Amino acid sequence: MPLASSTTSIPAHWRIGHRALFAGLGLLLFVLMYLSLALGYRLYSPAEIWAALTAFDGSETHVVIRDLRLPRAVMAPMVGAALGIAGVIVQTLSRNRIASPDTLGLNAGAAFAVVLASGTLGISSLPGLSVAAASGALLTSFVVFGLAAAAGGMSPLRIVLVGVTFAGLFDSFVYVVLTANETMLDQLLFWLAGSFADRKLGLALNGLPFLLVGSVLAITLARPLDILQTDDSTARGLGVPLGVVRGIAFLAVALLSGAAVAMAGPVMFVGLVVPHAARALVGLGHRSQIVAAALVGALYATLADIVARFVIYPREAPVGAVTAIVGGLLLLVLLRRRAA
Amino acid sequence: MDKAVTVTALTVAYGAATALSAIDLGIPKGKVTVLAGPNGCGKSTLLRAIRRLHQPKSGEIRLGDLPISGLKEKELARHIGLLAQNPSAPGDMTVEELVRLGRYPHQTMLQPWSAADGEAIQAAMFGTGVSHLNDRRLGSLSGGQLQRVWIAMVLAQETDIICLDEPVNHLDMAHQIDCLDLVRRLNREHGRTVVLVLHDLNLAARYADRLVFLKGGSVVAEGEPVELMSEVLIEDVFGISCRVITDPVHERPLCIPIRNSTPRFRAETAA
Repeated sequence: MPLASSTTSIPAHWRIGHRALFAGLGLLLFVLMYLSLALGYRLYSPAEIWAALTAFDGSETHVVIRDLRLPRAVMAPMVGAALGIAGVIVQTLSRNRIASPDTLGLNAGAAFAVVLASGTLGISSLPGLSVAAASGALLTSFVVFGLAAAAGGMSPLRIVLVGVTFAGLFDSFVYVVLTANETMLDQLLFWLAGSFADRKLGLALNGLPFLLVGSVLAITLARPLDILQTDDSTARGLGVPLGVVRGIAFLAVALLSGAAVAMAGPVMFVGLVVPHAARALVGLGHRSQIVAAALVGALYATLADIVARFVIYPREAPVGAVTAIVGGLLLLVLLRRRAA
Repeated sequence: MDKAVTVTALTVAYGAATALSAIDLGIPKGKVTVLAGPNGCGKSTLLRAIRRLHQPKSGEIRLGDLPISGLKEKELARHIGLLAQNPSAPGDMTVEELVRLGRYPHQTMLQPWSAADGEAIQAAMFGTGVSHLNDRRLGSLSGGQLQRVWIAMVLAQETDIICLDEPVNHLDMAHQIDCLDLVRRLNREHGRTVVLVLHDLNLAARYADRLVFLKGGSVVAEGEPVELMSEVLIEDVFGISCRVITDPVHERPLCIPIRNSTPRFRAETAA
């Protein structure tokens, strides 16, 4: 059986096709990041962009490119990659293809923390809110993990149930507070929809270590995550310590989602849709799936950020709204084609 | 008799309920041992305890001379393979992707893939006759094909001992025989020690080298099917009056059930 032997001897993630694909996606990302610098309310030429980045002269053009466009050209791919990887892990962890970091209540927890910080501590600066958001996401993940693990089993169903419960609780707290306090609603609405606008580059640098550690944990867990796709007995029979793997996987999700929500607020649907695209491209092996999800997520968020500048031109739409509309439609297509 | 696994005074409990009490049992090396008994007798629990999926309340299980409680997860997984009851995997996973999972206990972070892994996967798929299905998605397979693929995954694990928990539960008669013939071939040709949980007594008698009867969390009797399958013992263990004849084809004992003989059941049907 020559056909069988040619594929069985090489694992999928070593196949040359994947490497070429990843290189192609990387190149595409580079192009999109350039377009993110060039396109918007005003268009800039390559010469202007190059000058602004290498020979900054304080002109309005250079300020816009360096201080407004550059942070979002850097941050959008980071957030997209983080949410893409987090989505892959959550869907495997919960054995549920329509789960995402939202399902675990992480974004709702972040939003609640932001409303709390703004309402009780009077924090209104973006860096302050982003710290609150990250803390909210991290704390929520520990609570959800703790409750899901409390019964000993930490079954996928239990993870989802606990997560959805907390998402609902936090969301209703947020709405109650915001309904009662209209000034706060005005201040926080843009944050709550998710956006990359008006962020400083420093915010991306703060998020970078979380993103890196989360990604390394994810890649390290690739093989055990492959096996977590089977039932618990089979996974244990293959020598996977379920509790340890689930604990580390949860930590990775918390770091990645925390970094994302701190940078951009709750950007919906990226963590839900991107893993589907990644699996369609490279199959179910997590090593390839995680790399593909990072690249596709980065592309998706960057593209959404550019589109957000034009849908209600000359004003700007929240990127979370764009990712939700595009993602929602994509998911409908997926659901129509086969059970997502 | 050389023992692959020795169980000594094993007690397993779920909370307050005792599932197995003070079990002593030896699993002979290179043979097919079948654990049989009525529902809730503890046969699956015993199999899972041997694979350390249940922590014993007391007692000990040894692999050769090694107590399994001292082994690391992957180490144990290199000695004992498990085909769980009703195993599951995503329907869009390919056959080869699933079989490849069986290599996990042999891989490390620094050595994620070796030539031995590729050879083991090929051998396992060839041995179970699923090589031609390698790119097929699990969701597109029939029940019989799927069970062969799962067995291939366990086989790729290359363990001396293979535990199978009710592997023919949802298969039709032809595929039951097909699956158990395959398991016996793995035992005869590859020298694997096999431990099977079966609740079909006649299948148990047909495929077992050694048959173990459990009832109420204890081992009631063990031995070769021919010496073990007496009408009195079967009535005691399964609560059914029966006639035992010799299967004219395989010359194994064959149980013909007559009626449920438990007092409670008799009272209910009388009323």
